Amino acid sequence: MLKIYQRLWQVNWAEYWQYRANMLMYLLYWLISPIVYLAVWTSIANAKGSVNGLTANDFIAYYMTLLVVDQLTSNIIIHIFAYKVQDGSLSSELIRPAHPMLTNTFMNNLASKALNLLVFIPVWGVLWLLYQPDFSAVTALNLLIAALAMLLGFLVSFLLSAAITSLAFWTTRVYSVHEFYFAISLLFSGQFVPLQLMPQFIQTAAQFLPFQLFLYFPIQIILGKLSTAQIAQGFLSGVIWLAVAWLLFRWVWREGVKRYSAVGA
Amino acid sequence: MSDDVIQVESLSKTYKVSEREAGFGAAMRSFFRRKFKDVEAVKRVSFNIQPGEIVGFLGPNGAGKTTTLKMLSGLLNPTEGRAHVLGFTPWELKPAYLRSMTLVMGQRNRLSWDIPAADSFLLNQAIYRIPDDEYKTTLKELDDLLELGPLLKKPVRNLSLGERMKCEIAAGLLHRPKVLFLDEPTIGLDITGQARIREFLREYNHRTGATILLTSHYMADVTALCERIIIIHHGQLKYDGGLANLSRRIAPFKLIGVLLAEPAAYSLAHYGTPVENEEDADKHYIQVPAGDVAGITARMLAELPIHDITIADPPIETVIERAFNE
Repeated sequence: MLKIYQRLWQVNWAEYWQYRANMLMYLLYWLISPIVYLAVWTSIANAKGSVNGLTANDFIAYYMTLLVVDQLTSNIIIHIFAYKVQDGSLSSELIRPAHPMLTNTFMNNLASKALNLLVFIPVWGVLWLLYQPDFSAVTALNLLIAALAMLLGFLVSFLLSAAITSLAFWTTRVYSVHEFYFAISLLFSGQFVPLQLMPQFIQTAAQFLPFQLFLYFPIQIILGKLSTAQIAQGFLSGVIWLAVAWLLFRWVWREGVKRYSAVGA
Repeated sequence: MSDDVIQVESLSKTYKVSEREAGFGAAMRSFFRRKFKDVEAVKRVSFNIQPGEIVGFLGPNGAGKTTTLKMLSGLLNPTEGRAHVLGFTPWELKPAYLRSMTLVMGQRNRLSWDIPAADSFLLNQAIYRIPDDEYKTTLKELDDLLELGPLLKKPVRNLSLGERMKCEIAAGLLHRPKVLFLDEPTIGLDITGQARIREFLREYNHRTGATILLTSHYMADVTALCERIIIIHHGQLKYDGGLANLSRRIAPFKLIGVLLAEPAAYSLAHYGTPVENEEDADKHYIQVPAGDVAGITARMLAELPIHDITIADPPIETVIERAFNE
C-alpha cells in the first residue's frame, strides 16, 4: 500500500513539474486574497489604533500565519477531479484496484502542495521582511500541537471537498455547489476576518462547523491564543468532523459511482 | 453453474439522456425544466463465454458493444440483469476482480500523457501488487512480443498512435489478467501495426489461456482471432456462434466476378445483382443465390465474351451487414 502512495507521488510530482509555470500562476492567484485581507486590516488597525482590541501587529501575525496554514490545509480536488467524471477520463482509474480519490487524488494534492511550497516560501519571506510580524508568542510546543491540528484540518477539508466534488456524478453544476461551499468556508474559517471580530452568534456557529479547523483553530494555536481547554475542545470537534466527513464521503462516493456513465469511448 | 468465465443474463442498460433543441431559448427553458429521454443501449443480452475463448463482439456504431464491455468491466451499473465474470459481479468493483481483468480501450488512455510509459508501468506494478521478479518477467515477455524497447523511456505524448497503443496494451496486461476486454484495440493502426497486435493477442491467449472479448471495426481482426462471434444491433443480441456458420446461415449466396472483353456492351443485371468489389476493381461482380451458381456460370460462359471468371464467398462485412438488417 505504501508503495502505491510512493509511486503515485513520483508520477504526480513529475506531472506537476511539467506544468510548474502554470502552477506558479495559480499559486499567485491563490495568495492574492489573503494578502489583500492582510493589507486592508493592517491599514484599518493602523488608522484606528486597533479594531476591537486587535492591533495592526495582531492582524499581521494572524494573516502571515494564515498564509502558511492555508497552504497546508487546503485542497484542489474540485479542480483536478470533477472534470474527470464529466469527460469520462475517470474510467481508467475507476477500474484500477486503488481508490481514485483516496490514492491518486490524495497524492496529487500532496504533490501540488510540495511544488507550491517551493514558490510560497520565498514569497512569504519577502512579506515577512515587509511586515516584520511579531511571532514572540510562538513556541515549539504550540507548533507541534498546531501541526496535528493542521493534519486534522487537512483531512477534514479533503474529505468534505471529496464528498462535494463527488456530486459531479449527479450534476454538471457541481462547480457552483463547490463555489457556495467555498464562500461559506471563507466566512467561517477566519479567512475574511479573524473570527473573534465576528458577531457572537457567528463565533458560536463557527465552533460547531468544520471550517475553523482549516484556518482559525490552527492559527490561534500557533499564536498561543487558546487555553488548554479550548484546544481540547477544538480537537474533539475535529475528530467528530473527521468521522462525519468520512461517512459522508463514503456514502456519496458509493452512490455516485453507481451513476457514473463512463461517457466517451 | 457451469465453468464459464463470463456469464451474462438479460443484461440491460438504459441511459437517461437530457435533450434540448439548439438555440438560446431552448437553453433557457432546459435550465428550468430538463427533458429526459430514455435510450435503451443494451436490451436483455445474454451469453456465456468459456475459459480461453477469443470472442469477437460485433455490431455497427451505437449497437451497444462498448456499453456492454463497460458493464462487464464494472464501469457501468446495468439497469437490469445480471453478469458474473470470474465469479464476481463486475460493478461491485471488488479489488480482487479488478486485479484479474483488464479493459483496454483504443480511444482512451490509462497511461499518463506527460511522463514516460515506464513510470506508469511502475505505478501499475504497485497498484496491482505485482512482485518484482514477476513484473520483470512479464515486462520482458511483453517487450519481446510487442517490441516496446525505447518507447518506454519517451514521454507518452511523443509517441505515435501505434506506439502508444502498444504501450497501452502492455500497461493493461502487466498484471496478467485472466479476462481481457478489448474495445477497438487496433483502431487507427496501419496494417502492420494491426497484424502485430493480432499476433500478440493470439500468442498471449495461447500462453496464458486468458479469455478475450474484443470489439473491432476491422474484420481482419475478427477473422484472424475469433472462432466465435457475437453480434448485437440496436442493443439486442442478433447472433452468437461460429464465424463460418454465420456466413452459411445468413449468406446463402456467392459472388461471381468476370473479366469481359467489351464490358460496356453487356449488362450483367439479368444474371444476378451487380455489386461493387473494391479489392478487385477490374472485374465486374454479381451476387447470386448459392444454389444457382453452376447454372448461371454456365449461361454466362456461353453467352458472354469472358476472359476470366472467379467464384467467391462474399466478404464478411457484407455478411454482417445483412445480419444487421434482418
